[in-house]
Amino acid sequence: MNFTVESWNQQTVVVHVGKALDFRNASDFKAACQEQVRAGVRNFVLDFSETGILDSTGLGSIFSLYRQVSPLDGQVVFAAVSRPVQVVVQLTRTYKVFRQFPSLDAAREAVK
Amino acid sequence: MNSARQQFGDLERVIDEVHALFDHWENSGVFSPAFDADKVQLMKLAVHEWLANLVQHAHFGDRTPEIHMDVTPNGKRVRCVIVDNSDGFDLGTYLNERRGALPVLPERGMGLLMLDAATEYMNYHRDDDGCHRLEFSVSADEDPWLNIPF
Repeated sequence: MNFTVESWNQQTVVVHVGKALDFRNASDFKAACQEQVRAGVRNFVLDFSETGILDSTGLGSIFSLYRQVSPLDGQVVFAAVSRPVQVVVQLTRTYKVFRQFPSLDAAREAVK
Repeated sequence: MNSARQQFGDLERVIDEVHALFDHWENSGVFSPAFDADKVQLMKLAVHEWLANLVQHAHFGDRTPEIHMDVTPNGKRVRCVIVDNSDGFDLGTYLNERRGALPVLPERGMGLLMLDAATEYMNYHRDDDGCHRLEFSVSADEDPWLNIPF
């Protein structure tokens, strides 16, 4: 696990994904996010600024988070998307599901 | 770079080793300018998904795992061959079954579909020596995408 969770307010956290979100740590990511949801968090900003690997299992864990929070009027957004992550987003066209922001500041402004 | 051959034997380290290798090749400018940085990432993703599948699901019996990877840049196209000594599986049948069975926002089962979508050409077969060989190419002229139900 190389990601960290930073609380912005009672309902919003930013997850600094770190170097990789893939089959090796996706279950840790999912568990950490579920813990946040149980604590009342509804909005997740995923910081991909340092991320060199996002694979299908990592993406699946993000889909799982989205399925969890969207019925609760929550949202999952991407911020500071690195090139490797952008390639996955383009290949899977998940830009149709997850809003993207160029920076954490821009995401903070939009997700309040 | 005409062609590069790498051998891997440690399934715990193969993913990090392959990523480091591609990063080195990219930083060294071994890929043609026509094969831009996004396509290098796409190629790396395709390799990653195949190796992730091997690490998670392949059966090697009592054999020590061996994985050989050949990467050959050729202008707007990069060809990759990955040979392993696992038992192998029926990739064609798997892909056909998965294509029609992806649930909405799937949590698992996208990896080999992503590999298939990313590649211009892909072939998987058993060699005469019993090893299994995946051959594929990624083209700079393609704009691939995978149809995931949202």
